[in-house]
Parts: sequence; C-alpha cells; structure tokens
Amino acid sequence: MNNIRNFCIIAHIDHGKSTIADCLLETTGVVSKREAKDQILDDLELERERGITIKSHAIQMHFRAKDKKDYVLNLIDTPGHVDFTYEVSRSLAACEGAVLVVDAAQGVEAQTISNLYLAIDAGLEILPVINKIDLPSAEVDKVSHQIIDLLGCKKEDIILVSAKAKIGIDELLEDIVLKIPPPAGDPNAPLQALIFDSVFDPYRGAIAYIRVFQGTIKTNDKLKFFKIHKDSEAEEVGILGLKRIKTNELSAGDVGYLIAGVKDVHDTKVGDTLTHVKNGAAEPLPGYKDVKPMVYSGLYPTDADDFEDLRDALDKFRLNDSALIYQPETSAALGFGFRCGFLGLLHMEIVQERLLREYGQSIITTLPNVEYYVYTKKGEKIVVDNPAEMPALGNIDYIEEPYMKAQIVTPSEYVGNIMKIAMDKRGTYINTTYIDRTRADLQFEFPLSEIIFDFYDKLKSATRGYASFDYEYIGYRKSDLVKLDILLNGEPVDALSMIVHRSKSFDWGKKVSSKLKDLIPRQMFEISIQAAIGTKVISKSVVKALRKNVLAKCYGGDITRKRKLLEKQKEGKKRMKQVGNVEIPQEAFLAVLQIDE
Amino acid sequence: MKITALYIHIPFCDHKCIYCDFYSIITSDNILNFKSALKKEIEYFSNIYSDNRNYSSIFFGGGTPSLMQPEYLQEIIIHLKNNFNVDDKAEITMETNPGTVNKNKLKSFKEAGINRISIGIQSFDENELKFLTRIHDKQSAIQTVYNAAEVGFENISIDLIFNLPNQTKEKWIENLKTATALPIKHISTYSLILERGTILNKLVLDGKVTMQDDDYDADLYEAAIDFLLSKGFYQYEVSNFTKPGFECTHNNAYWRYRDYLGLGPSAHSFMNNKRWWNFSSLKKYIAEIELHGHAIMNSEHITKNQMHDEYIMLALRSSGLDLIDYNKRFNNNWINKNNDYFNLLKKENLITIENNWIKLTSKGYAVCDEILKNIL
Repeated sequence: MNNIRNFCIIAHIDHGKSTIADCLLETTGVVSKREAKDQILDDLELERERGITIKSHAIQMHFRAKDKKDYVLNLIDTPGHVDFTYEVSRSLAACEGAVLVVDAAQGVEAQTISNLYLAIDAGLEILPVINKIDLPSAEVDKVSHQIIDLLGCKKEDIILVSAKAKIGIDELLEDIVLKIPPPAGDPNAPLQALIFDSVFDPYRGAIAYIRVFQGTIKTNDKLKFFKIHKDSEAEEVGILGLKRIKTNELSAGDVGYLIAGVKDVHDTKVGDTLTHVKNGAAEPLPGYKDVKPMVYSGLYPTDADDFEDLRDALDKFRLNDSALIYQPETSAALGFGFRCGFLGLLHMEIVQERLLREYGQSIITTLPNVEYYVYTKKGEKIVVDNPAEMPALGNIDYIEEPYMKAQIVTPSEYVGNIMKIAMDKRGTYINTTYIDRTRADLQFEFPLSEIIFDFYDKLKSATRGYASFDYEYIGYRKSDLVKLDILLNGEPVDALSMIVHRSKSFDWGKKVSSKLKDLIPRQMFEISIQAAIGTKVISKSVVKALRKNVLAKCYGGDITRKRKLLEKQKEGKKRMKQVGNVEIPQEAFLAVLQIDE
Repeated sequence: MKITALYIHIPFCDHKCIYCDFYSIITSDNILNFKSALKKEIEYFSNIYSDNRNYSSIFFGGGTPSLMQPEYLQEIIIHLKNNFNVDDKAEITMETNPGTVNKNKLKSFKEAGINRISIGIQSFDENELKFLTRIHDKQSAIQTVYNAAEVGFENISIDLIFNLPNQTKEKWIENLKTATALPIKHISTYSLILERGTILNKLVLDGKVTMQDDDYDADLYEAAIDFLLSKGFYQYEVSNFTKPGFECTHNNAYWRYRDYLGLGPSAHSFMNNKRWWNFSSLKKYIAEIELHGHAIMNSEHITKNQMHDEYIMLALRSSGLDLIDYNKRFNNNWINKNNDYFNLLKKENLITIENNWIKLTSKGYAVCDEILKNIL
C-alpha cells in the first residue's frame, strides 16, 4: 500500500489541468505520444469541443521514482466548471493529495481558490504547480507570491511546469511520490469502499468507480450498499488504465472499478459506501452531500407526438448523469413535457445539446428558474420550481429564494464596475481581500436567480474577461418576489411566466413584451402581448397581422419549385409551438435570456 | 379525351432585364438549329402523347417569342398541329415585347395563327422602364396595344410590375389607369420579386437598391385589386385579372391541375402525374435532342401527398377549391380536419364558402401562402 498515491488535479478553467494530465499519462507510458489525442480523459465529444471536463474519470499510472521503487499513481480527474463543483468534491474524497495548477500568465483565479478550499477541507496534501511557464506573458514571480500568500508554502515547494513543452513533469511526478502520503487502511479489516463516480455501459450496466478505504473486495463477493439497501454481487473488479483492466481484487488504498450487475447508475449512488454482506463494516464512510439541482426548467418536445421519445431519451441520459433530475409536467401552452433540475445553466445547455446530438431530440426549453419556498397565509410551505405553480398573489404570505456566496477575483481596477453589476443583481457586498497588490478577491451574497441569467457574461464584459467567479449555496432568504405573466391575445401562456423581484418587475415586463414582439413573427391575425402581475397589466405590445405572403408568379409550369417553397414554410411552422391561434417560435420561450438590461 | 396544354419556350432575347430569372440568351446563334431541334422534340413526344388528348392551348413564352419572324412561329405551329391533336379553337398565345413588333409584324403573327397576345409592358413610366432595363418607352407600349387591336387581336393581355423601389401609390394607380384605358381584356400584375441570380438581386445585396417593405407591397396590391374591380375586371388568380370570358385557358391548365407538355430549353411538363423539366442551356438542349429526341434534365413522380398539396395550393391561388372535384380525387377527411380554421378564415373575410367551393377573397389572396402553410 505504501507504493500507492491517489491524487487529483484542481485548477481554474483553462489553466491546463487536462494538458498536465495528458502529459503525466504520456511520461508514465500509459499512452504513447501517437495515441495521445488531446485531453485523453475527456471522452465526451462535447467535452472536447468545449474544452471542459464534465464527468470525472480515473486512470492508473506506473512510475519508477528516483528511489528506484515502483509506484502506482491513481489520477482522479475533476471537472473544471463551477456548475460541477459537487463532482470536484466527490473526486477529492477518493484522494490523499491534490495538484493545484495555476496558469503562469493568469495567476490565481476564483476557482483556484474555491477548489483549493474544497481540497483543504477534504484534508488533502496540496502540491502547487505553476503551468505554462514558457509563455511570453508568464509572470512566474508574481504568481508564486500569490500562491505563497494563499497556501503559506515556501517558494521552493512550487513546481514550475510547462505541460506543452514537457518542462517539470518529472519533478512533479517525484513530488507526487514524495509529498503525497500513501493511503492508510487495513486490507484485512471489514470492507469500506467509496463510490466516487459511476457511468453507464450499455452492455455491462452501471460501472462504479470506487476507492477502497478498508478491507478487500474480490470477484464474486456478495456486496451491500449502505444507502440503497440492495445486495448484489461483484461480477468484475479491476483497475482503470486507458481501458478497464480486470484484476479480480482491490484492497485498501486501491482505486478501481466494480461491475455488480446493476442496471441503473442511480442504484450505484455516488457517495455511497460498499461493504460485504457477511462481516461487513458497521458504518459507512462519511459521504458527501447529495447533489442538489439549482436551476429548473421545462423541457418539451417541439412536436407533441415526440413526448414518449423524449422520455426514453431522458431515461437513457439519466443513466450517465446522476445530477439530472426530471419529472413529467403539463403546460397548457406546451402540452406534455418534463420539469428538469440542473446543476446550473451550463449543465442545462449541455443536457439540451446532448439530447439533440446523441438522441436526436428537438426540444423547447422554458426560462430557467430557481426553486422558491412560498409561505402561504394559511401557514403552509410550498416548494415552487415552476412559475406556473405559484399560488395566487392574495394567498401568499412571503417567498424565500436561494442565496449564494460568490467570490470574484479581479484586477483591482475593475472593482468599481463589479460593484455596479452587483447592485443591479441585488448583491450584498461582504468583504474584499487582496491576493496581491493588483488583484482583489471580492465576496458578495447574491440571489441565485440573478446569477443564473447573464451574470457571468456581464462580469466578463465589465472586466475585459479578467475577472473570475465562483459561488456556493448558503441558504434561503426572504425576498419581495412577484410572478410576471405573459398574455397572448388575453390568454396567459404558462410557459412564459417568470418570477422576478418586485423592484424589477415593471422594467422586465416592458422588456419581455417588446422582445416577444420582435421574436414572434407576424401571423394571420393580430397578436396582443401583455405583461401582467396578477390582474394588473404593466405593458402591452402588438404584433400586427400579416398582410402579404404570397408568391406573385406561378406559371411557366415550375410547380415543383413552388411546392418546395411551401414545404419549406411548413417545416418552419413545425418548429413553432401553436398556442391557441398563435404560433410561438422556440426561442421566444427563452426571450428573457436575450434581453439586454 | 384528356385536355392538355402545350408550352413552347423561345429562349432568345434582345437583352436580359435586371429582374428576370427565366432562361434566355441574347445571341441569335442557333436560331435555326433551335427550330429543327424543337421540331424533333415535337415529333418525339407526339409519338408518346398524341392519342386520346385534346390540346387546348399553345403558349409561346420566353425569352422573347415576338423577336422571331412570324414565319418562324408559323412553322412551329403547323408542326404542332401536324403532330398533336390541337383543338380548332385552341388558344394560341405569344408573349410580346413592345420594342420588337410594329403593326405589320403583328399582322403577320395574327395570320400565322397567334390569337392571343400577352404584352410585357411592365410600366408606363419612363423612369420605371429605365430602372427595369426594358427596351421600350411609354409611347411604344401604348402604340403596341393599339396596333395589336387594329390588326384584329381581340384577346390582348398586358403585364405590369408593381412595388418597384420608390414607386408611390399614385404612380402605380397612374399605370393602372393608363392600362385600363387601352383595348385590353386581361391584365397580370406582379409584385416585383427578388429572384436569385438576377442583377436586381445583386443590386439589393450590394445595398444599391432598397426594396419596399411587405406592408407597402400589400397596400399597392390592395389598391390594384380595388381599382381593377372598379374597371370591370375580376380576379381569378393571385396576380391575374380579366374581363368576363377572357381567362387565360393556358394558365388555367396549370392551376386546375391539368396535364401540360413543355417544349424547348428549361420547359416544365406535367403529364400523367409525372413532372419533368428540360435542360436550360440551349446548346445542351440541342445536343440532347440530337442524341435522344428529348432534352429531359430531371423528373419526379408526384407522391399522393404531394399531389394533394399541389392540387390545393394551385386551386386556392386561382379560382378556388371545388370540393366535389376534391372529394372525387382524394377520399379523406382533410376538409373536416380544417373545418374550424376555414370557418375562422370565413369570419375574417379571407375566404368564401359557397356551393361547395372554397374561394379566397382579395384579402385572402394576399396571404395565400400563409393560409396554405396552416392547412397543409
């Protein structure tokens, strides 16, 4: 066990985490240079395109250190986007150490700090690395000072690396062996293994990625899960190379996989502890918090006939994404669909895009919202994740919404701009600390609902892209919120309702109705668009009736062309949603996201 | 006897107008070669389609058929009559450009067998004619109509284009006034459309010409309808108006889903539920005829659904949907399915439903494609 090192790499997005991982794999001979696709650990097509890791993965390497001993290094990859913070913490729980990567040109960023705190909380040994030191814009001294201030380490503890130029990789591997403690644990003790991830394989069912803390797990062992209370059998255990490698045994300290004939990834619950049915451990390992969706939105098939197909696609999708939750809902406007919970907007976009790409599902997404606690005058608490379900105005005592603690790291000259955004977004300023003379770390509290819209874009443009941002949930707080309804030809369209702060409701109402006016094409009949709170109409706009749509010329016998034009128009109509006599284009349901405040 | 129409595409032009996307060439090379190829094509198809058909119309389109010598068209007409069962009373139309014919030439065309003349006037305004790059002026346009009447053409139609850039409503009405004062029986008014590949399209893309918006287009269209109705014309298609008794037999064949045989480069045919179209290039056309006797570039079999949609599309944009004929052809519940929508359209004065006919009103014609989109 002394020759095992379990570690992960944590970094702010784009600081080179995946490149370093690839470099380690290459140096230790797991992959040859020729095999090395960029970002080996990111195997979803979408991950490669967006350059982010969505699902975490694990891989084993072998390394002969300077002490002439052979070591087994298990690298557990972590996702890089704030939406997936929970996946970071679950990866951390399987490790004894973390390599903290900081970009030599960018310096310490918000996620560097937040991930670092997660790693420190998990009790990990931190190995600081400055990456991209070969860049012309690298500021190694400055970044070193930032890291020293942050960690309280010495300058000589920091490893200088360029993954691209293969500088410092051997030193990094040596430090991993030297500084990260070997796992503790007793191979003969009752089994305790942590499931830190699970993926779905169409042929084998759920595959759990596990870290064994105590005891030994062998093929054919009878196993039990603490949380799920289901027994099963270890069909196959092994380690994770570039592919799965069967070993028939994993013992304390090992990282590997388990196939236990479980069809559903939700039965191999991430964070759950495995033990033996006979002579099992009495207690589970401390798990980590269940993933809780933060953002909700309705997903509806563009064509109502595709509802069952969408359900199938979601069922399949869910097998590989335990963070996605959904349940059927009905909308008067959109028909049958699903209310889905996501970790954040990026997660929502990814789900939507993957549903389209991998499952061919064309869907309409309604405006994302958070989950509200509504307290009625009768003293009930109602959890509302869909604005359409908001009780009538007169029955509401008060409403609470989720708040987040946000951390923004920025060059100090943009502090003023950020303060202004924070005010617009109903933020409360808490504190500022300085990372060094030029970089400030600002702390705020924001309602989550303000963050999920265009906060990040606004922040980026107000700071020329220099600010970075991270946030975590802190709890529910009372807010003066109202439901804003949109009425088309006098009929409320439930899928267009939204919950907004009263102070912004008038302005939003005007902007939404005028945006809808631009997005809804002119049709046979005039369409009136109203924004209303309760019975009070706060703004009105009109889409005038279409007056001309006919091809003037239809002779010379080329009917084929005319028919094709008509077929094209029909296709266009199919992409619209019919609500009463009004056709609403898909993008109108997300109109609010396109409003420039 | 299956009623069938004949279309002959004469591809020659004096020059290419900026808005035109019909196939034409401005060289007179191959005029004679074209005629012999066309005659071969006539013979080829007469072997296939002469039985049991009554050819009720011949339409010389182009290009500029009136650029040809009358004897040239006469030879073609005779050849058609020798090879197809052309009705004695067949309507024989020639598209005519005012800049290409004097009174004598018109007289000869009449004698050659042409009995309907469709004059591409487009506008009576000198500036508009210049913009459209037409070769005639206002005076020759008017003179051509009178000449045609004087040599004995009873069935005279003219084409006008509206919604030109900067065209005022007054100017458009002025055009219509001039037109209706002439001895004409039929008028086609087309809203200027941008076609891909035309010079006009390029000018618009380059920002050198700005088209007027759809609402203004609708204003001019409505004005035209009102004006022409007041002058004793009635509308029987989106862009076509006629005095009673002078509907174009040939165009009606397209709109009433009859068979038609198109000959010449780029011509389209629709026979026995099959559509095909010829090569557009004159050289290719001649070469193909030499090789195969025909010059078919491509064809399509119409599926039952396509047939259904085409039938409705063509009927609604012209004299209306004959529900009895519809039910004879297609036995389904499409009409019931759309009943609510039809009633709504009726309420909004976009259609009339009378004696088993669904007919668009003038207001309905303007949004014909929108209606089709919603019912098909």
